[in-house]
Amino acid sequence: MVETSVKVVNNLGLHARAAAQLVRLAGTFESTIKIIRPDKGVFADAKSILNLLTLAASNGTELHVQAEGPDENEALAAVGQLFTKGFGEF
Amino acid sequence: MLSESKAKTRAISIADFLRSAPAELDLELVAGGEGQEKHELRSERIQKLGLALAGYSEYLHYGRLQMIGTSETAFLQRFSPEKRADAVASLPIANIACILITKGLKPMSEVRAFAERNAIPLLRSDAVSSRAIALITSFLQERLAPETTIHGVLVEMHGFGVLIRGESGIGKSECALDLVARGHRLISDDSVRIKNIGGKLVGSSSEITAGFLEIRGLGIINVRELFGVASVRTSKSLSVCIEFRRSDDQIESDRLGLEMESEEICGGRLPKFSLPVRPGRNLASLVETAVKVYMLRCEGSDAAKEVLERHARAIAIDSSKA
Repeated sequence: MVETSVKVVNNLGLHARAAAQLVRLAGTFESTIKIIRPDKGVFADAKSILNLLTLAASNGTELHVQAEGPDENEALAAVGQLFTKGFGEF
Repeated sequence: MLSESKAKTRAISIADFLRSAPAELDLELVAGGEGQEKHELRSERIQKLGLALAGYSEYLHYGRLQMIGTSETAFLQRFSPEKRADAVASLPIANIACILITKGLKPMSEVRAFAERNAIPLLRSDAVSSRAIALITSFLQERLAPETTIHGVLVEMHGFGVLIRGESGIGKSECALDLVARGHRLISDDSVRIKNIGGKLVGSSSEITAGFLEIRGLGIINVRELFGVASVRTSKSLSVCIEFRRSDDQIESDRLGLEMESEEICGGRLPKFSLPVRPGRNLASLVETAVKVYMLRCEGSDAAKEVLERHARAIAIDSSKA
C-alpha cells in the first residue's frame, strides 16, 4: 500500500465535475484508491462519485490518497497529479 | 455505425391524390385528366389563384395545389368572356400542377378550356375552401413527410414513444420483450419507419412485421397473441431515444447525468440516453428508469442538480470553517 498527501487547490474545491474526472481516472487502475480526509476522519472510494461528494472538500483542504493493488504506484502518481494540477482548471 | 437511410422528400401524382385524398373532400376530376399521372404535388402548402388571375403570378410555385374559391370565381365573373379567357391564359402553365375548385362551384368554361388545353388536372370538391385547405394540408403533410427507416426497436412506455437503438445482438429485442411483459407496448422490432410530420417524429412498423418480435433461440414470436391486444400498437410519436452501447466502447459515460445528449433523426432531434450494456445489467428496468428520469426532467426536476446544490452548500460551510 502506498500513500501521499495532496491539497485541494481548485477554487471550487472537489466539486462534482472534478469528482467525475477523478472517478474516470481511478477507474483506469486496478488498485483500490481511497481518498481520506483526516481532519474529519472520513474517507471515500475514488471510484464512487457519490462517495467522493460526501467529503465536501473545499479549496485548501488537506487530503490523503491511498492506493493498494498491482498498479498502486502508477495510480498514486496519476491521482496526485490530478490534484496538483487542480483538475485541469488552471 | 448506426445505419440510417437518407430522409427523402416525396411527391404524389394527381392521380394518386385523387385516389387517396380524404373521402370528405369528395374529389371529382373535371378536366385535364390527361395530365394526372404527369403532374404531382410536392408541398403541403396550398395557394389561391386570386392574385395570379389579377396578373401577379410571381409567387406561384409548381407542386402546390392551386385553389379557386368563391372570391376567385366572383372576380372572374366581373370580366367579359374575352377578358376572362385572357386572365386565365396569362397563368404561368409551367408553375401549375393542379387546380381545385371548392364549394362545389361550377367551373367556368374558360378555366375548363385552359385545363383541357394544357393537360392540367382540374378538380372539384364540395368542401368550402377553409375546410378543403385544412383537410388537404394535413393529408399532404402526412403523405409528403420526409421518411426514413432505421434499425431499432420502438416501444410505448407511460405514453412516451421510446426508440431503442444499438448494434445487432446487443439485446434490443430481448429488452423489448421484457418491457412488453411489464405492461409496455410494442410498436416495432428491428426496423422502425420514421416520418417527420411537420417537425414531429412519428414511428411505425412495416405492415409485414407489425406485432412480431424476433428473439434469439425462440425465433419469431407473435406479441399480440402472447400478451394480448393492449401489448401492441401501430404507431407512436417519438419522445426519447435510448442507445445501448457495448461497455468496452471507449466513450466515457456521463457519471453525473448533468448533460442530456440528443440525436438527429429524419430532420428532428430526440433527447438521448446512452446506456453501457454489460452482462447482468437489467436493461428493461434501466430503460424504465431512464424514461421516468426523462419525465421528471420534463417537469424540471433534476437529481444531479439537486445533489450538486447540496454539495455546494456543504463546501461553502466547509470553507467558511477553514
